[in-house]
Amino acid sequence: MATISKDEAIIRSSGEAARAFTDWYYTQLTDGKPVSSCYVNTNAKYLAASHPPADICINGQVVATPEEWDALLEQQRLITFTQQKGKVKYEVEGFDVHVINKDYRFAAPAEIVAATDAKMMQRTEDARLMMVVTVAGSVTFGGKEKGTPPKQHFSDVFVLVPNWDYVTRPKFKGHKRYLVASHTYRAY
Amino acid sequence: MAPPTGPRAGTGRAPPRGPRATGGGGGIQKRRANPRTDRDGDVSMDAPAGGSGRGGLASGGRGRGSKDARGGRGAVNSRTASRVVQNLQNYVSGGPVGKTQSNMATLKIHGMSNSKATGNRDGGLRSLLTFLERKASKDKAVTIGKSIMDGDYVWITVRKDDAPEILRLNGFTYAGAPLTITETTERMPRPEDKISKAAEETKQKLTAVLAARYNPELKLLDLSSLGTDPILSSMGTFDSKDRAEKAFKVLVVIASQQYKTAAEKREGIQAISLASNGLNDVMQVFTLATSLPDIKRLDLSSNNLDSLSKISKWQHRFQYLEELHLTGNPITTQPDFVAELIKWFPSLQNINGQIVRSPQEVTEALKGMHPTPLPQFPSNLRDGEANVASIFVQVFFPMFDSDRARLAAEFYDDDSWFSIQAIANSGRNLPWKTYLKYSRNVHKLGEKNPATVQRLFTGGNLIADMWKALPSTRHPSMENPGAWLIDCHTFPNLADPTGHGFATGLLITVNGQFEESDTTENLYGKRTFTRTFILGPSKPSNPPPVHPYRVISDQLTLHDWTPAETPAGQAPVANQVPQVPVTNAVPPAEPVMLDDATKNQLIQEVMKRTGMTAEYSELCLSGTANWNFELALKSFEEQRANLPPTAFINAV
Repeated sequence: MATISKDEAIIRSSGEAARAFTDWYYTQLTDGKPVSSCYVNTNAKYLAASHPPADICINGQVVATPEEWDALLEQQRLITFTQQKGKVKYEVEGFDVHVINKDYRFAAPAEIVAATDAKMMQRTEDARLMMVVTVAGSVTFGGKEKGTPPKQHFSDVFVLVPNWDYVTRPKFKGHKRYLVASHTYRAY
Repeated sequence: MAPPTGPRAGTGRAPPRGPRATGGGGGIQKRRANPRTDRDGDVSMDAPAGGSGRGGLASGGRGRGSKDARGGRGAVNSRTASRVVQNLQNYVSGGPVGKTQSNMATLKIHGMSNSKATGNRDGGLRSLLTFLERKASKDKAVTIGKSIMDGDYVWITVRKDDAPEILRLNGFTYAGAPLTITETTERMPRPEDKISKAAEETKQKLTAVLAARYNPELKLLDLSSLGTDPILSSMGTFDSKDRAEKAFKVLVVIASQQYKTAAEKREGIQAISLASNGLNDVMQVFTLATSLPDIKRLDLSSNNLDSLSKISKWQHRFQYLEELHLTGNPITTQPDFVAELIKWFPSLQNINGQIVRSPQEVTEALKGMHPTPLPQFPSNLRDGEANVASIFVQVFFPMFDSDRARLAAEFYDDDSWFSIQAIANSGRNLPWKTYLKYSRNVHKLGEKNPATVQRLFTGGNLIADMWKALPSTRHPSMENPGAWLIDCHTFPNLADPTGHGFATGLLITVNGQFEESDTTENLYGKRTFTRTFILGPSKPSNPPPVHPYRVISDQLTLHDWTPAETPAGQAPVANQVPQVPVTNAVPPAEPVMLDDATKNQLIQEVMKRTGMTAEYSELCLSGTANWNFELALKSFEEQRANLPPTAFINAV
């Protein structure tokens, strides 16, 4: 197999990261589960480095915390007539991802920030990425049993930054390789 | 004499044995003394020598019991009364039939009935199949798949490759009778069809019951007092509770099958009476909710429903149910049953003749039957004091429509990335041909696909070249805020172009539509798009004209979703107002409030684009253009010839 260049490795790595992220994120949404854990807000390393809270803008309105976004999603799932939780189904039809900082080091462990550990730098070469991901898809409000459910198109834009807990500990059990630093959502 | 055949005919489970197998014993040979068996234990009487592994594996004595194991075909012909309802259910739930395996061909053989073999126990089917296989296996072993005898015809399936070998036998004489063999696309009869004939009779009886009980004026299907129905009773329908419930299910299904579409059904059957049926739980008639979900009136009077829990299985079903009758049920003595029932059925207005809800309340309730989309707010621009994003989009889109090369040169550098993704799912508007070859939809391509690298355009020059290949566009005017949804904010931690440290970035997301004219494909129409920009500080090394910022990333997403309402959250009423063409519109009278920094930036942009002095650029902007960049450029073009040389910086 032909070896790939560093840039190609980075491009592929970003694609894999975006895939892992969108797979997880929209499964959570459709299953009615919270997503707040994937934002920088709750990460100890980002908190310690005084990273500002993730910028979350939903349909043109700023939402202060990821928990508030979870609450909005709960509100969206509510079927007012029955006061029951309905299904809001998110289906990804496409995503694209660009690397916007190939050597992201904010809130990274000291040996990465100062680039003192050559081995570590090499190992994390395609993992120290800041990325922008644009997702497009459809949202369906409710199931078929109640007639034709309303449907919308959604576009989601995320800025993702490395989850250093994952990067520095290869045996890290968590699944979140990247965290959300910015989230812009529109559904219409 | 014929060996046991088992249900080889038409069980559908015997895999087509491999005609590939030409190795092994090879060639054509006579019937083996011991028939081999396939996995099902069915006797595989016709496998060619050295057949595929499947046949060979089971060559032991397993098949000997097959005759008893399957019970033969005799059982399906017994029409005991107790099976009628079951059969009918099989019939109605059978669903669409007629799918054949795509790699198999179906052949019809006529002439069997004149042969001497008809005296065999199986009507000569087995020996015919043996004959066909033997004769067909000239160059390679041909194996027949399924087979069934139906009247004067024998139906068989063979692999498509083998069909010509069998068809070659057309006109051959078998046991004294000439055979006619033709290929057909008709569905092969199934053993179950013989049951369906019994079901068909029952169905006709039930259809007669339904016809007698249907009132076309009231659109009412009167299924009351079913126990006293003479036809149903004669059919043994009420011999047990279980059978009565099944019979009801079948009745409702047949009733709903009388209509081709859901709309016809909704129109045809608006009311159902289930009065006087001794019901003590709607579970007994639950299928009504699935077969006739759109009924408006339901009569359940004179039954034994004694509590809400006995109706609760239908909770939140019957979305359009307006009228419900429960008189003569113990439940009506319970205090809160009305209050509770209107919570279950959103359209319910009338219970036992009492009005319980107004039409307005019904409209409201129906709206709440689905999860509710989040409210929509207008554009959210948080781009800092300098209004970089506002100015950027004002400059960007008109220039993308008019001069892409220049746009790329001014705002993109060697490290800028651009890509397009086309979300071509429904294709109901414009086709996607032009875009699909560029589409970097990583979701569809797969992240390991080399196309994800090839379709990423890096550097201003490459990007400009790629833009040349795209159809020309016209974005709506920024004057029309309803046509745009722009969200923007700053974020930290981009790489600083000077080397070390971090820089602040700007994320701009634009949702809107543009008109497209694709002259190569001769296509014209509108596309809906999302465009995501990441802006960062310019590199000091960038050639002039240096803007303070550059495009680091530009992602264009195209899809063909047409929003039901205008995205800016305008009331739908606004759509009814005739739209004045924007180009002819008088610019809004109210002055635009811009801070000086923004004005200065706009002036700088106009200077760059027109070559005019700051003074004239300001005049141009502050006039009828009312600080609209696009209008200012337009008025410049119109007035250009009339401008004095002193208006230009490089005036000679």
